[in-house]
Amino acid sequence: MTILPTLKSLTIAAAILASTSVFAFAKDVTISVWAGGTGPNDVYRLDAIEIAAQQLQREAALKGEDLKITVEKKPYSAWEDFKQALTLAAEAKTAPNIVVSGHEDIAPWSQSGLIVPIEDYVDLDSWPLNGIYENLLKIASYNGTVYGIPQDAESRPMFFWKPYMKAIGYSDADLDALPQNVQDGKYTMKNLLEDARKMQDKGLVQPGYGFYPRTSNGPDYWQFYTSFGGTMEEGGKLVFDKAAMARTYQFFADAVKSGVTKKNHIGMPGDQWWKEVATGKAGIWDGGTWHYARLVNQEGLKDFFGNVIFTLIPAGEGGKANTLTHPLVYLLTAGHDKEDTDIAAKLITIASEPRINALHAVKSAHLGISEAESEVDFYSADRWTREATERLLPHANAMPNNSDFGTYWNIMWKNLEASWTGAKTVDAAIGDAESELKSTLGDKIVIR
Amino acid sequence: MKTSRTLGLVMIAPAAVMIVLFFLMPVVLTAVFSMTNMTTATGISGGVYQIAPNSLITLKSAMPEIAAEMAEPRYTIDEAGLKAVEGLGLAPAIAAELRAKHAGEIFATRREVERMIKDLAERPSTREVKHISEQFNRSVLNTRFDSKEQLFSSLDGLGFKLTPEQKETVAKTTYTGWTWTTDNFSRMASSPDMARVLFNTVLYVALVLMLFNVGYALLLAIWTHYMPPTPASIFRGIWLLPRITPVVIYVMLWKWLAWDSGFISILMGKFGYPPKNYLLDTAYNAWFFVVLINGFIGASMGMLVFSSAMKAIPKSQFYASEVDGASRWQQIRYIILPQMRWPILFVTCYQTLSLLASFNEILLATNGGPGNATEVWALSAYHTALRNYAGNLEYGLGAAMALVLVVIGVVLSLLYLRVFNYGTLVAKPLIED
Repeated sequence: MTILPTLKSLTIAAAILASTSVFAFAKDVTISVWAGGTGPNDVYRLDAIEIAAQQLQREAALKGEDLKITVEKKPYSAWEDFKQALTLAAEAKTAPNIVVSGHEDIAPWSQSGLIVPIEDYVDLDSWPLNGIYENLLKIASYNGTVYGIPQDAESRPMFFWKPYMKAIGYSDADLDALPQNVQDGKYTMKNLLEDARKMQDKGLVQPGYGFYPRTSNGPDYWQFYTSFGGTMEEGGKLVFDKAAMARTYQFFADAVKSGVTKKNHIGMPGDQWWKEVATGKAGIWDGGTWHYARLVNQEGLKDFFGNVIFTLIPAGEGGKANTLTHPLVYLLTAGHDKEDTDIAAKLITIASEPRINALHAVKSAHLGISEAESEVDFYSADRWTREATERLLPHANAMPNNSDFGTYWNIMWKNLEASWTGAKTVDAAIGDAESELKSTLGDKIVIR
Repeated sequence: MKTSRTLGLVMIAPAAVMIVLFFLMPVVLTAVFSMTNMTTATGISGGVYQIAPNSLITLKSAMPEIAAEMAEPRYTIDEAGLKAVEGLGLAPAIAAELRAKHAGEIFATRREVERMIKDLAERPSTREVKHISEQFNRSVLNTRFDSKEQLFSSLDGLGFKLTPEQKETVAKTTYTGWTWTTDNFSRMASSPDMARVLFNTVLYVALVLMLFNVGYALLLAIWTHYMPPTPASIFRGIWLLPRITPVVIYVMLWKWLAWDSGFISILMGKFGYPPKNYLLDTAYNAWFFVVLINGFIGASMGMLVFSSAMKAIPKSQFYASEVDGASRWQQIRYIILPQMRWPILFVTCYQTLSLLASFNEILLATNGGPGNATEVWALSAYHTALRNYAGNLEYGLGAAMALVLVVIGVVLSLLYLRVFNYGTLVAKPLIED
């Protein structure tokens, strides 16, 4: 008597289940996404895809499809570990569906077929992709094909500790005029070293803390090369401008020689550097726009605008004031089922909508990717994103997407480090860089 | 007799497989990779043929007209394309409208043709638009061909009249994969940095070996030899700690000791010295710490080998020498050291090989800095093959660098076998089989 109703309901349940599985379109998809250089402020690189998945599921439901998307997220805090992991995973055919990485990876990764062009899957003419800044979309392209969708923009300003600038004679009006003076080339790299020296001479900062640059290899150092008149690429060919590079190397050698930068600065612990720039231990330093988030959220610098002023990287001899934008891009990897890649592309498109992208921009202090985003009140109400967008983004250039740029970069950095630490003279470093570039890249690089 | 031999082969088979798989294969693969220009950009499994604007730059100097023609992306609404669209299984109105309104039109870019397709009365989905536009693509630009034949037949199909030589040039410049080359070795030979790295390696091996792995290990063994057994064991145990501590934690402790905010800086601050990063302050400092970090780990092995070897010296020799009034120094000089010749030689040989290949402690402590001052060969090979900020790992060059280490290791091993007179050690026993 008791078992019969149970049996009956079980049979009915099984019948319902069977009928739905036959008639309704049901699809379970797992989309994996990996993001490099992702700290606690950058979680929306991954979370935006999750938000997009919810939206896409709802859209599918309205069309009568039962789509279930599981997003697997994997953040990597360091860059080199991430790129190593990703390339090895891709070679082993276990790459994630979506990768968030630097735009400069597009060239080598597309050549080896590790990523597929996103323009094969999305409509670049429709919203929100048609609103993305044209220059950012260009940076995300290679060989005339759009490979990635910019996930953020940023730039890399020069920061000055206001109280010390005042202590060496700058009035409030001078400080307000500083960004414009840098932009106009009236305040140069030479002035920067002089001011750093003054701060030390006055005892405001310890020796070696006047100019406190990035402690490791990174795109920042190409800004100095541009600042001293260097060109990275011209007409699809890499360019090594010997004189400009020599001036760049000399700048850091001089900074060390005059005692405003530490000889052993490179390789110092990152956490220590953050603490020091946030507490006014350093006078002038360069960094990224996203540093604002870390300084304010993690390092306890509450009154940022009261203590810090930011500008473009000043012009050096032969060059111009500039900044570099290093947008991260959403990329689609090869080797997946076309349907899944299609869904991944749709998620990237939704994640690029202004309101969703603004979450990332504001939380991580990166810059927006489209004009529409700066019209979102949540974004424009944020003083940092607004000022940084206006002051920096129009002057931003980017590193070239060239599959040999990594080799060039390694050689450039190795010799910069050597001349910085005094392991080589500037002339020897330039000579070594030139001969290695010649033997390595041959006619793929123009040396002048 | 025969059965036992077969059985022997069967029993040794698993070991032989392991040796081939895990010892021989990596070396063979390293040798193979070292003869290629393999990078992330070329991939490992092989390349394709892709006429990209990038590769056309090179082609332009060889055949300007053809290169210019190839650079043209062209989308033509022709009959073949319309037929193909009909075969896609989409709404029939799409092909019909295309034929009626757009037949014969030519579009310069893909975006233009797709804009036209999106304007059709029966608006296809984004995915369908992509499928349709592809049917009208009459250009080879950016298309990936798996083989030369596919590339050539496509070029022929599009009406490019190329001689066999020209075809080969096109194939060569548009190949995206790796090729065989000996460039890695000439790069190594000509690079001034490589010479420096080699010098660093010799310095590193020599210093750690002489000062710690053999010298200090011997000293420790002699000290503990003259100690009462219990304190001697405790002392040896303490010296084993760096060896058994996880290397990341061990190096972290050293960093904590030597950093700006570390112990030495705090201590020196009491005497008025400003804090500084003692680990990376100068190349000398970095070397001092690198040698110390590795030496403290390496000393324990020599200590154990030497201690046990000393235990094997008959006690009677010491008693007799003491009766004769020999001092400790005389005992060391005339009893211990002469009998330690072989253990010392063994430790020297063994540790040379391990030091040549080891780099993890340096990677964690200085990462080769400051200014590549502590970059040793193995670390440099690792940086080249597996670390690159711009995502282009140079597997070929890295493998060539690793191969140099393998060759040095093999040569040294053979030399050691000769020194140890390996032949007599494994000589056939005198008892007949």
